[in-house]
This record gives sequence, C-alpha cells and structure tokens, in this order.
Amino acid sequence: MAEYRETPLAERPKTLDPNEYFNVSLEKRGAEEARAAFRANLKRQYQMQLNNPHRKELIEDPALTNWVQARGNIYPHFRPTQRTSMFGLAFGVVPLFFFYYVFKTTRDWKEERIRSGTDTQKYRLTS
Amino acid sequence: MSPPVNMAGVGFRRLAKTLAKGKGPGLSALLSGCRAASGMSKDMIPGPYPKTPEERAAAAKKYNLRVEDYEPYPDNGEGFGDYPKLPDKSQHERDPWYNWDHPDLRRNWGEPIHWDFDMLTRNRVDMSPSPVSWSSMCKQLFGFIGFMLFMFYLGEKFPSYQPVAPKQYPYNDLYLERGGDPEKQPEEVKNYEI
Repeated sequence: MAEYRETPLAERPKTLDPNEYFNVSLEKRGAEEARAAFRANLKRQYQMQLNNPHRKELIEDPALTNWVQARGNIYPHFRPTQRTSMFGLAFGVVPLFFFYYVFKTTRDWKEERIRSGTDTQKYRLTS
Repeated sequence: MSPPVNMAGVGFRRLAKTLAKGKGPGLSALLSGCRAASGMSKDMIPGPYPKTPEERAAAAKKYNLRVEDYEPYPDNGEGFGDYPKLPDKSQHERDPWYNWDHPDLRRNWGEPIHWDFDMLTRNRVDMSPSPVSWSSMCKQLFGFIGFMLFMFYLGEKFPSYQPVAPKQYPYNDLYLERGGDPEKQPEEVKNYEI
C-alpha cells in the first residue's frame, strides 16, 4: 500500500498516525471520545440552526462573542504587577524620552552644520 | 392647538419620571445602576481567574472545553481573566480536507477561539513547522547578512582599485579646442617622462 512520507512542511495527519490506533490507553480513548462528543454536539447545534427554514436571523456564535468580549474587557482583570508595570514603562514612557533625545540631538547636529556652512547636501529627501 | 402642546408636556414629564429609576432627586436618579438590555449578559464577559475547581469546571463549560483540557492563562495581572490558553497553532496547520463549518477560517461553529486568532488566520502569521529549526535559520540569515555588512565596511575602510591619475589631454591640454588664442603661443604641457 502507499506509504505516507512526512516532508518538512507537511506533518503526518492525525488519521495516518499509527499511535492513534495502536498503543492507545483507555484514558486517551476516553478523552478523544469526549472531545469528539463535544464537537459533534456543536456541529449538530450549528446544522440545526443553519437548516431551520423558519430562521430569519443570523446564527450567533457564542465562542466568537466570548472572544470579542475577552479582547475588549482586559482592563477589569488588569493588575499592576512588576511585569505589567515594566511593559507599561517600556512601551509608554521610555519611547517619549528616547525619541525626544534622538530627534533633538540629530537636529541640533544638523543645525550646527548648516549654520557653520559645513553641510554639503543642499537637497535632502529625508531631512 | 393648545391641548396637544399640553399633552406633549405631560408626556415628557411622565417619560422623565419613568427613566428616573433611582430614589434620590436630580441627576443621580437617572444614573442608577441599571444597564440597557442591549449590552452583554454577565456570563459572556470573561470572569476573573478561576481559583477553585468549581470555578474551573464552570469556566470550562462556558468555553465548551473539557475540564481536563481547560487551561487558563497564568494569573499575572495581564488581564486575561479565565479565558482558556489554547495551543499556539496557526490556521495554516489545520486539515484542509476536513468538512469545517467555516472553511476559509478552518474552524467549526462554537469552537473556542485562540486569543490571537486574528493573527493566526490564513492571511497572516504561519506557524507551521519549518524545514530547519528556528535557531538554525536565524543563525544562517543573520550570519550571512552580518558577514556581508562586515566585508563592505572593510571595503570602505581599505579601498583597493587600479591606480588612477587625472586624464591627460594632447595638444597642450587641448589649448585651441578650449578656446585659446590661436596667435599666442601656449605654454608647453608635458604629460610624459622619458
């Protein structure tokens, strides 16, 4: 029979993995069955709603709602710890001072060069 | 004419009274603790980090996961709450031949969504296993770029080219062609040494 050969960018699919069929402990099988039951239940719910001829509205996805709400409501569970404060400083405060000094210094150099007449480039695309 | 105006006045006052759910007078009456029904119900917003096993079970149920599979983000104040931590696999790696409910997203309806789902779609970041390990790829790329930059820097510092001199023109540096006076005798320009 055909032998599936794994290539660097294509890993072995789950259905062709021998560990799926041999050396499977009872608890693994139970876990897989439970997961498949979850999946089948969700599929059934979706199909029932999708093929319902009396349905007039959009099918609402609770997982999507959860995700959107989670991404939007980060602040209620935010706590200022050392790590979060470090992030806040690094991305909120340090760039202000850093860029102030960088821009000021480079532009002061340029100003000096222009005033003393040593600036050789008359026309610059980036000034 | 005047009765409708009176009616409108009465209606407005009644409307204001019904809106003022709070007990006290003035603005505080209007800003009482009720939220409009168009907002989110309390169970859809992620709750705080689950500490007890019952909270974990409830959270797993909310997110359609098995209790054993449910793993929240570590509680370090970054605001994840009880949202589950799913494995970091991009949608590129999912089986293209399976009958997904949403084939373009390779996702089923109701399946818990990864926190960075919008980053892991098929248009964006691809985290499939690479042919060589990440560290090896980084070393090769940055090694090559670094080496080339270093060699170019050396070339700037120590240039090496054929010996050159300013160009030498015949006829006394092209005296006549450059508009010199034909009557006058130009100075002799000797460009050679014997």
